[in-house]
Amino acid sequence: MSRNLVELVRRTHVRDAPTALEVLKEAVDSRGEITDDDRRAAAAASGLPEAAVYGVSTFYDDLLVPRGRRHVRVCTGTACFAASGNAHVDELRAKLGLELGERREDRSLSLAETVCLGFCHSSPAIRDGDLVDAGDGALERIIAGETRQAVEPDWVSVLDEPVLTRPGDWSGLGAALDAHTPESLLADVKAATVRGRGGAGFPAGDKWAFARGAPGEAKFIVANGDEGDPGSYIDKYLMERNPALVLEGMALAGYAVGAEHGFILTRSEYPLSKPALEQAVAEGHERGMLGDDINGSGFCFDITVLEGAGSYVVGEETALLACVEGLRGTVSARPPFPAVRGLYGLPTVVNNTETLANIPFIARFGAEGYLALSPGASSGSKMVCFNERFARPGVYEVRFGTPIRELCEELAGGMRDGRSIKALQIGGPLGGILPASQLDTPFDFDELAALGCMVGHGGIVGFDDRTDMRALARHLLRFGAHESCGKCFPCRIGLRRAHDMFDSVAPVDRARLEELLEALEVGSLCAHGGGMPAPIRSLLAHFPDELGLR
Amino acid sequence: MEVTVDGRAVEVEPDATILTAIRAAGSDVPTLCFDERQAPFGACRVCLVGVEGARMPLPACTTPCREAMVIDTRDETSRRVATAIVELVLSELPAAPEPHTELATIARALDVGTPRWPGQTHDVDHDSRHPYLAFQHELCISCGRCVRACDEVQGAFALTATGRGFAANIAAGLDKGFRESSCVSCGACADTCPTDAITEITLLPL
Amino acid sequence: MTDERFDSSVSTTCGYCGVGCRLEAHVRDGRIVSISPALDGPANEGHTCLKGRFAHQFSRSRDRLTAPLIRESGGFRLATWEEATARIVAELTRIKDSYGPDAIAGLASSRATNEDCYAMSRLMRATIGTNNIDNCSRVCHSPTSFALRRSLGLSGATGSFSDIDVADAAIIIGANPTEGHPVVGARIKQATLRGLRLVTIDPRRIELADYGVLHLAPRPGTNAAVMLGLCHVAARDGLTDPSFIAEHTEGYDELTELLESYSPQAVEEITGVAAADIETAAHIYGEAPNASILWGLGVTEHKYGSEVVQLICNLALMTGKLRRAGSALLPLRGQNNVQGSSDMGALPDTYTAYRRVDDEEVARSFEEAWGVPLSRKVGYTVPQMFDAAVAGDLRAMWIFGEDVAQTDPNTAHVIKALENLEFLVCQDIFETETTKYADVILPASAFLEKSGTFINAERRFQLVAPALDPPGSAKTDFEILTSMSRALGHEMGWESPSDTMDEIARLTPEYGGTSFERIGRAGLQWPVAADGTDSPTLYLDGFPLPGGRARFAALPYKAPGDSADAEFPLILITGRRLQHYNAGTMTRRTANIELVDREWLEIHPDDAAKLWVENGDLVSVRSRYGRIECEARVTDRIEAGHVFTAFHFPEVRTNLLIGPSADVNTGCPEYKVTAVDVRPVSEQAARTPALAGQA
Repeated sequence: MSRNLVELVRRTHVRDAPTALEVLKEAVDSRGEITDDDRRAAAAASGLPEAAVYGVSTFYDDLLVPRGRRHVRVCTGTACFAASGNAHVDELRAKLGLELGERREDRSLSLAETVCLGFCHSSPAIRDGDLVDAGDGALERIIAGETRQAVEPDWVSVLDEPVLTRPGDWSGLGAALDAHTPESLLADVKAATVRGRGGAGFPAGDKWAFARGAPGEAKFIVANGDEGDPGSYIDKYLMERNPALVLEGMALAGYAVGAEHGFILTRSEYPLSKPALEQAVAEGHERGMLGDDINGSGFCFDITVLEGAGSYVVGEETALLACVEGLRGTVSARPPFPAVRGLYGLPTVVNNTETLANIPFIARFGAEGYLALSPGASSGSKMVCFNERFARPGVYEVRFGTPIRELCEELAGGMRDGRSIKALQIGGPLGGILPASQLDTPFDFDELAALGCMVGHGGIVGFDDRTDMRALARHLLRFGAHESCGKCFPCRIGLRRAHDMFDSVAPVDRARLEELLEALEVGSLCAHGGGMPAPIRSLLAHFPDELGLR
Repeated sequence: MEVTVDGRAVEVEPDATILTAIRAAGSDVPTLCFDERQAPFGACRVCLVGVEGARMPLPACTTPCREAMVIDTRDETSRRVATAIVELVLSELPAAPEPHTELATIARALDVGTPRWPGQTHDVDHDSRHPYLAFQHELCISCGRCVRACDEVQGAFALTATGRGFAANIAAGLDKGFRESSCVSCGACADTCPTDAITEITLLPL
Repeated sequence: MTDERFDSSVSTTCGYCGVGCRLEAHVRDGRIVSISPALDGPANEGHTCLKGRFAHQFSRSRDRLTAPLIRESGGFRLATWEEATARIVAELTRIKDSYGPDAIAGLASSRATNEDCYAMSRLMRATIGTNNIDNCSRVCHSPTSFALRRSLGLSGATGSFSDIDVADAAIIIGANPTEGHPVVGARIKQATLRGLRLVTIDPRRIELADYGVLHLAPRPGTNAAVMLGLCHVAARDGLTDPSFIAEHTEGYDELTELLESYSPQAVEEITGVAAADIETAAHIYGEAPNASILWGLGVTEHKYGSEVVQLICNLALMTGKLRRAGSALLPLRGQNNVQGSSDMGALPDTYTAYRRVDDEEVARSFEEAWGVPLSRKVGYTVPQMFDAAVAGDLRAMWIFGEDVAQTDPNTAHVIKALENLEFLVCQDIFETETTKYADVILPASAFLEKSGTFINAERRFQLVAPALDPPGSAKTDFEILTSMSRALGHEMGWESPSDTMDEIARLTPEYGGTSFERIGRAGLQWPVAADGTDSPTLYLDGFPLPGGRARFAALPYKAPGDSADAEFPLILITGRRLQHYNAGTMTRRTANIELVDREWLEIHPDDAAKLWVENGDLVSVRSRYGRIECEARVTDRIEAGHVFTAFHFPEVRTNLLIGPSADVNTGCPEYKVTAVDVRPVSEQAARTPALAGQA
């Protein structure tokens, strides 16, 4: 990201100005589209040059689609794909008489695509204004104008002493401020070997230590709530049902690292998340657990809640910081790592929200208690979630090392309607596809990596025996190409070409495909381009006959 | 510190990148998004090189040297991937780049001819409303050099990347052309463009 | 790099401003088709601006002078070089014989090469026998030259542009680099974004003010008080460097005594700048480990411009911010060779390197080299030349590469002087306002057509190389001056400008090691030792003044030469715009005219409202000396009470407004403070009459 633009934003941030992205979002939310006057206003408010604001306004999905008075967004995420092969999209287009991205001339109605709404437990999911309807009858209700908010199942923990599903009560922060120095808290987090829950699995304690050691006049904690993985709604649950736990984790990170301000960025696809987080921030202040001199300890910490605007790659940490700064959410080469040069050019810890939700437990029970949670496996517990194909979809807190078959069949009850599991995609669109034959694999970082798969963020999307694997490849690559931030060449062009190969009726030239996959894996700047080949390689390995290869 | 490039030892500054070391050693790798007047960007991935002990090739322009690093500019995977990337880049242009451009020069050096990728190319879109500078948007490969020249060299901030993914491109100001933007007509964008997506009007073929 | 689109590519140095960008000029079919910045250019580091890069079509404009013109029966006729030469020889000989050599004067040009300027001064001194030689830096940076020599010893920036990159803080006073010196302006902007703490001091809110940490907007003509205020705070708050003062300077006590009267409150009274801002600015500069000061014509083109430069030197000296990277005094020279034209001795009182014409030893060394006796009498400065012409003492002038009738102040007086001359030779690339008064016009060459050297604002000699031939029968200035001298009976004995530089080096210890070969692509910053070692930073071995000490100047603030009154209630400031260059002779003959096609007057919204002037209205601007009309643009970049315009368009003739007030030491005109009256010009009333006070 341009150091100069970040500096211009930083200078304006001193005055607590809204970011350019916030001004543009406000324009589109209130008036349905963005005009040049809005862009000029965003430039004036944010300190960014007009051209840079223009660039922002052409990057995020939310800013690109004109909205009518009634704005319908249909989910095309992988769970919705698994449910119907996206037949619901065609039906909605036909019934509403609008193409995706179109608005009626009289501005009464507009239709857009969205990935994904986090209602993967009851597909298809369709958003009408800020209501999300999902599951059986949702399509018909939307068409009839009788949208109603879909019900979300409660979460389940298999642990006796839940870590992530225990309601946040700030007791971990209180305990840490009483009993811990920042150094000893950091030491505990390192000893607990908390691996990042956002996908990359990087040890959180190491990140904290780098940021703590980096010179900077201020430091920041950024919670990554940009849970873009289609088929995953774990962060959504955390942010909407247990936001205090996440905020408490952020404050603990701030204490350990020496930061006094945190930002949490949630997704615009989750209309309930930002209000829930904001309310929890307000409650934190009321309880004296956020703000100045928390619990009389001298430690100050405050949190700003932000919302994205429709971009998967913003989940990557450098792109996330760009988005928090209100810039285009493109990826930057590392080094410099955010721990050294992050938000506004200052040392920054970027952790996934679930990662942070682990910290209050460690603050209360120490590293040992945490290490004991999943005997013989990675430390701590993990949230997983299941898509609508399962008999008992929902969010579960489980132990690492549990066989995947046990998760799918005992917890989630296997496939519904008597169907069988053909394959799973675990951890998001960059995760490999696990065929039914490998269901006995333990759910853990290394075991899944050995099979070209990953824990990722923990979303488990099951595909039943009717699934067209070539269509799945096309579905994944369409998503990949659409979400490419456009910065690095292999991803920008390569995912488009890969999608073209599966989108055509012609057979796919396997040698050329493999050449392309190598360029993506080796050449891409971030995990998006680098990871998209993983599910395609799994499909090539396990379902070569279904892909129409030559 | 000392590193080895293609078998030759070379002394580099502590903050040197692999690309600096390669050039100091008298070797070379092709680059598309790099311009010595600008901070490294790491977008084109054409400068990938092999590094002993690394799991995968590394981009030379953005990777810092480490003590005793062993760098191989002729690493087969790196060159194969770089060639594949240049072919992909050519595939997004509706016509071959002019022979004098950096892109054409690199394509010749890597022996990439007509790209074998069918499919969509960028739409032809020209803008010559400025007396000196012309856009030929279909030639834009989103290397970011013009945007960075305007930002890091001139400080006019008149250019931006636009769109994302395959549709990524560039625009001046609010995309109403250079004259309606904060452009100061310094021409640094045209100077650095590797494809003539921004070029001097006097240099356009008649 | 070879490029099949071009027949040839030539490395040269830009002929526009004093930054000195190194350029690659690309030629096809005898025309420049493109210019790109040299990646290894020491001042421009691979960058340049729209003038250097694009504004080159003037070189093949159909208006170019391509043959000599001779005045005949009220008009001009095409002539051969032989005719022109014969006419010049006859007239100059006649006038010299009748009135003596001092009835003839020459003007060299800050646009021309060092070799051309040196040749022009030799033409006057040796061929004609007079020291009546001056150059146009008289009207821009002569105060800088004077003051730096007085305070520090040498007439040049104490450091290099690269000091900007390493300075912690900087003050820019009276300069607008992003328009006047765009490549340096861009460099400063980048430095501010990396953390350079910049203080801008200018009546206008210049673009860089948006990137700095503090902007001071003093009333025009009060820079001296601002500098005294900064020095006051530095002394009062212990921001000084006592060991530097003790070791390297003299006159500090006298200064401190003077400074007592310039408390921030007192300075606020004079300048209108808040006392607190004076304090902050002094601390920003004084507390920075390394800080530099840059200035331009907003400092020099004042009645006390040279004194303000001395006051700037005071601040650097008392804080010890000299003699190291990041702590420099950097005057932003206007034209490409302002530095060189004076360094080369195209001045009425000095030979090369500012050695006086009445210095016996120096004069003898030139007499020996040139084989003729030389006058010890100091010649006329530019304004004195015009006065002498009006008085009838000066009979002939040779004006080389200058449009004095457009760019010099008090235009009516200049025109009267030109009309009064018996004989005027103009050597130029275009017909200009000035050539209208010529008897012979010699078609000369543009910088893209000649060989030689320029010296940029960092004291750097850089090579100029021809990319094109002069058009038609136009000749290079070198060829014109050497052949005319030959015809007038003095053989200069040079085959090429390189020989001229060798002579300059031989006769000038400060440039002793300079040669075209050594200048090469990297340039040489004078002083250049005999072995070719150059000097990016000055004064490492002390100051070349008596005792090796720099001199503080205890100079009080004095009011400018003009001030607003009931009849002329606004103060006009003049300056430059990015897209054009000086008289516009070059840039108006390029597509830059499409970018900016007219002059305009910048006026504050409050003044505009009072005067019933709307954006875009045609206004009359009247001073005590003249009246012009141009479009008004309402902007809050200028303070109320002030108006601003440039001088790039002959249709507007801004300098008609400028009076005779000039710098007390150098005669540099006071372009920056002129009281004017502004009112709308319109056939019909602009608004319905209304009671005063409602606007």
